[in-house]
Amino acid sequence: MADIDPVTTEIIRNAFISIANDMNATLIRSAFTPVIYEGKDCSVALIDKHGDVLGQSLGLPLFLGNLEICVKLIAEEHGWDYFGNGDVFYMNDSYMTGTHLNDATIIMPIFWHGKRVGFAASRAHWLDVGAKDPGTPVDSHEIYQEGMRWGPTRLYEAGKPREDVIDLLRRNSRFGEATVGDMNAQVAAGRTGEKGMQALFDRFGEETIVAARDEIFRQTEAREREAVSALPDGMYRAQGYLDDDGLGNGPILVNLELTVDGDSMTVDLAGSAAQATGPVNCGITQTIAAARVAYKLLICSDVSPNGGSFRPLNVTAPEGTIFSAREPAPCGWYFSSLGLLIDLVIKALAPVLPDKAAGAHYGDSMVIMIAGQDPRRNDEFYLMIEPTTGGWGAFEGGDGQDSLINNVNGSFKDIPVEIFESKYPLRLLSYGIRADSGGAGRFRGGNGTYREYLVQADSNLFLWFERSKTTAWGLFGGGDGLPPKVSVMRPDGDRLELLKVNGLKVPAGTVIMSLTGGGGGYGEARKRDPEAVRQDVIDRYVTIGHARDTHGVVIDMNLEVDTAATERLRSSAS
Amino acid sequence: MANYRVAADIGGTFTDIVVEPSEGPVFVGKVATTPDNPARGVVEGVSSLVPDLADVSFFVHGTTVGLNAFLERKGERVLLISTAGLGDAYTIARGNRHTLYDLRYSKPELLVPRRDVHEVRGRLSWNGELVAPLNRADFEPIIAKVRQERIKAVAICFVHAYAYPQHELEARDILAAELPDVSISLSHEVAREWREYERTSSAVMNAYVAPVVQRYLSSLRQDLASRGMQATVHIMQSSGGVTTADSARKNPVFTLLSGPVGGTIAGTALSARCGRPNLLCVDMGGTSFDVSLVVDGEARATLETELEGLPLLMSIVDIHTIGTGGGSIAWIEDGAMRVGPHSAGSVPGPACYGRGGTQPTITDANLFLGRLGPKSLLGGDMSLDLAAARTAIEDLAPEVDLDPVAFAEGILAISNAAMADAMRTITISQGVDPREFTLVAFGGAGPMAAAFLAAELDIREVLIPRFPGTFSAWGMLQTDLRHDFTKSFFRSAGSVDVAELISIYTGLEVEGLATIVKEGIAASDVSYQRSADMRYVGQEYTINVPIATNAGKDDMIADFHVAHERRYGHSSPGAPVEFVNLRVAALGALLKYTNEADAVGEGQDPNLGRRDTIFDGRAHSTPILARDRLSAGFDARGPVIIEEQSATTVVPPGWVFEVDQQGSILVRRST
Repeated sequence: MADIDPVTTEIIRNAFISIANDMNATLIRSAFTPVIYEGKDCSVALIDKHGDVLGQSLGLPLFLGNLEICVKLIAEEHGWDYFGNGDVFYMNDSYMTGTHLNDATIIMPIFWHGKRVGFAASRAHWLDVGAKDPGTPVDSHEIYQEGMRWGPTRLYEAGKPREDVIDLLRRNSRFGEATVGDMNAQVAAGRTGEKGMQALFDRFGEETIVAARDEIFRQTEAREREAVSALPDGMYRAQGYLDDDGLGNGPILVNLELTVDGDSMTVDLAGSAAQATGPVNCGITQTIAAARVAYKLLICSDVSPNGGSFRPLNVTAPEGTIFSAREPAPCGWYFSSLGLLIDLVIKALAPVLPDKAAGAHYGDSMVIMIAGQDPRRNDEFYLMIEPTTGGWGAFEGGDGQDSLINNVNGSFKDIPVEIFESKYPLRLLSYGIRADSGGAGRFRGGNGTYREYLVQADSNLFLWFERSKTTAWGLFGGGDGLPPKVSVMRPDGDRLELLKVNGLKVPAGTVIMSLTGGGGGYGEARKRDPEAVRQDVIDRYVTIGHARDTHGVVIDMNLEVDTAATERLRSSAS
Repeated sequence: MANYRVAADIGGTFTDIVVEPSEGPVFVGKVATTPDNPARGVVEGVSSLVPDLADVSFFVHGTTVGLNAFLERKGERVLLISTAGLGDAYTIARGNRHTLYDLRYSKPELLVPRRDVHEVRGRLSWNGELVAPLNRADFEPIIAKVRQERIKAVAICFVHAYAYPQHELEARDILAAELPDVSISLSHEVAREWREYERTSSAVMNAYVAPVVQRYLSSLRQDLASRGMQATVHIMQSSGGVTTADSARKNPVFTLLSGPVGGTIAGTALSARCGRPNLLCVDMGGTSFDVSLVVDGEARATLETELEGLPLLMSIVDIHTIGTGGGSIAWIEDGAMRVGPHSAGSVPGPACYGRGGTQPTITDANLFLGRLGPKSLLGGDMSLDLAAARTAIEDLAPEVDLDPVAFAEGILAISNAAMADAMRTITISQGVDPREFTLVAFGGAGPMAAAFLAAELDIREVLIPRFPGTFSAWGMLQTDLRHDFTKSFFRSAGSVDVAELISIYTGLEVEGLATIVKEGIAASDVSYQRSADMRYVGQEYTINVPIATNAGKDDMIADFHVAHERRYGHSSPGAPVEFVNLRVAALGALLKYTNEADAVGEGQDPNLGRRDTIFDGRAHSTPILARDRLSAGFDARGPVIIEEQSATTVVPPGWVFEVDQQGSILVRRST
């Protein structure tokens, strides 16, 4: 191994991250669909020739530490020489990538002086890949209903696009041009990575870069092992339930045993539900990624992930569970199980990491899709799809955030009312923060969100709302958040309450009100500073009645704390 | 009788003054900023250089008063009025996270708490149809609250007002009749673009800084007038153009970044004078490093930015900032060596300032290596403590097994690489090849790092302008009056009626002409730049494409494909394209003096002596030159150090330099 000085190592370390960030910027700014450019439902990685991550931008957390596994899977199957100069590979097979078929993984080998020196990889959510219903069906029971399934396939060969293959992609999507546009954006991101990597090799040469990489990995691993060692050895358990699998089967158990042994940690998912008939399954690749996200939230959160990351972490899940599904299990809504898994890891470790943990958040993406024909645009087909924000958990020193996007959705931004109404035949009647929905506590859980839609052209409604059974839990005596709730009021007066539905007819004039859950509280509610409760009342986060009933704080008509009444109430209750 | 064009740029520590006389060389001054009342420093600084303010023919000012009020959260309390049912759009702030691996994330701190957000009924649809009329009764409790709680600033943002502002205008009439002394900001006047959260945020920012900026401008005008100045006060805008103080009072948010953009605008002027169309401008001070581009002689601009996480929709010179500056601290973590982003600032400052700092900084490394002399700063007015710098470096170096020299050079190598990464981000990753650019370095620390930064990006030549420490203020004298006008124009390109498009442009130009003529410019000196924000159907981000007055529809579409290819490396010539906004920048030409930057101290020996300076681990006996005494045509081989009052230029071994006709130092790799 070449000797390497700390200065060069630091320069190369920053360069890896900078190249990855530039790739991400290229992808987001030239993508065609809002899920990518607003939702940031994408991730990129710069990978070395052995398939280890050199630099990754902080994109969608669920794709963390996963792209490199795809590179390695291809190499295992076909050998490293399968990656030719100028090739670009596409794959989306859930049992390989772990995720649903909408997520396109694109991998480009990087060559330098005729040698393969690494890979630029990206993953992004494509709006439609030809499933039986638009977008992602919520009631599929086989993967074949969820779209076209691709093993590693060349989109470019030796630098030339394979127009026939690209045409096949285009024809198998309800939004073919957007699909190819997003594919181009991913290829452009790859080219950005390629240029950056080649320039770095020009400057430092392979030997120095390899030595720096080894040193960077060593440093990262050492830091993480030190952090894991600081946790008391032992077994930590947690469990929770998904409401159902989309076909009415449930609840679905997620069971977690986490063992800390010296400087390593094992997450064992044995005992979790067998693979479901409905689309809540995923491949083991994604399960590993989700466990890594949870780990990253607690261990060395500030270090950019690289090939030295996650070495102390082992993940095991028996074959045939929801976390290690086999053909033909559907995987369309794979992230609901994984979101719960992430929250449960934090719950399990909360007693030994009280300064890092927080109460649970509202838990899932709370996706609403409305599809139909837009009379304003010659009855063109439209598909509105959006996740909804909700409340986050409180922690020592701070209240949970109100109306913030869920963990697995990265840096998603809500769709502005003005764009929403211009694009779709829908009007937003109201959108706001759902008072009293956060769990009470010495620190209060964040509130959920309400969003009210008026349907203006006959359409179909699809819903995937979760976590009404295992709502956001509080920590150390804090209260739980409220569950989600969706009401559909048809113009004929018919009223429905439901959380999941596939293609419900909603005629023009229908009003849909969605409410998402709040986050868990932290510490006992009766110990919350009455002045903090009063401020919450003034800002309408908490109503006067809720302040009295949950926090034991009496606020009078002038919005002042009635100290005597508060003391009486608090002492009587304890 | 000589008269003077004067620029004053307020910084955190110093207020820079540049004076351009009608005859004779430019001269500059620096006075301490007076934070309690910044106008005082400006007036004193100008008076010290121009004895009779009646001789000032033009005055332009870059102010950070608004920005500081925001950064210190000392602006005015704002009450926000929004559309019934949707008032929380502001508080939710789009619900996104800026950092991902953080269970304790909190959203950016907003300027208006939820209790001060009020809703009124009244709604227009996406295409301007009346859904519900504005409800006048809903204003009554709001007016009562403003009176009772003595609120001085109100912002109003209704959905779809970017295209259909009638309800906002009606609301202003209702409020203005009842609350004549309250400053009212309408979202469509601040930003005529869709996305209600971003537009609300822009309007709120305007309302938040308006009273502070208005008070400041009144006081400045009064002070200058009382000293006899008759010239109109002009203010630098974030867009890179100037405006009159009268206009700035209306929408002060446009002046928020008026300081930093001066450097880029100075770059455009330098670009014309030295005949180099493409410049990469880097401004390095004590705590930050700003990079911006001049492409084909024009400052590259963006239409949107964020300040501390809060979005602003407005035309603004595109400046990429990272937290690397002379005060950036070196530290060790698990055997890894890091530099920044923590900064020692000015208090305690680098170890060598002798104000209690013990951690080594970039400035300490430069001093330790002899690139900076103990008496180099502020023409010797401030002396540096070499022993303290040495101690700081020697204490830390063994932790990573380096000798102190390698450690000090390592600090600079790491920080140079980080700055180079920032330069790559705004060039290579946006389809721009930095090798086609000349690097222009300024700010107190820029000229020290310039040659090293150029080497990182394979840039062949570096320009260090005259007076690098006051370059931004000089830039303010080189620009024109500017006002931007936008009209949203959401159409698929195929269905665009060119006659309609031209009539909108003409309408915007009429508006522009009226605004600029009102600021005292003759109609014949007004010109316009037309552009359109375009994208592929389905995309969100747009590209701003210049539109020629005689362009046909096909030309516009073709230009868009080319711009997309250039920016992102791919285009889809078959895919449908759409328009989103039409824009006009109206420019009013200002009289400028074209005399050269200055005559230099000719005839005096520039040699100040020699100092041992370390490059690549080796000490070189390096000549120290006084910049003020170098005349045009002077050249020498590196290593050389060139000192002047506000900056020190390092010409490393392997580089040569010469002084050009404008007095700039041109540094090149020796061949």
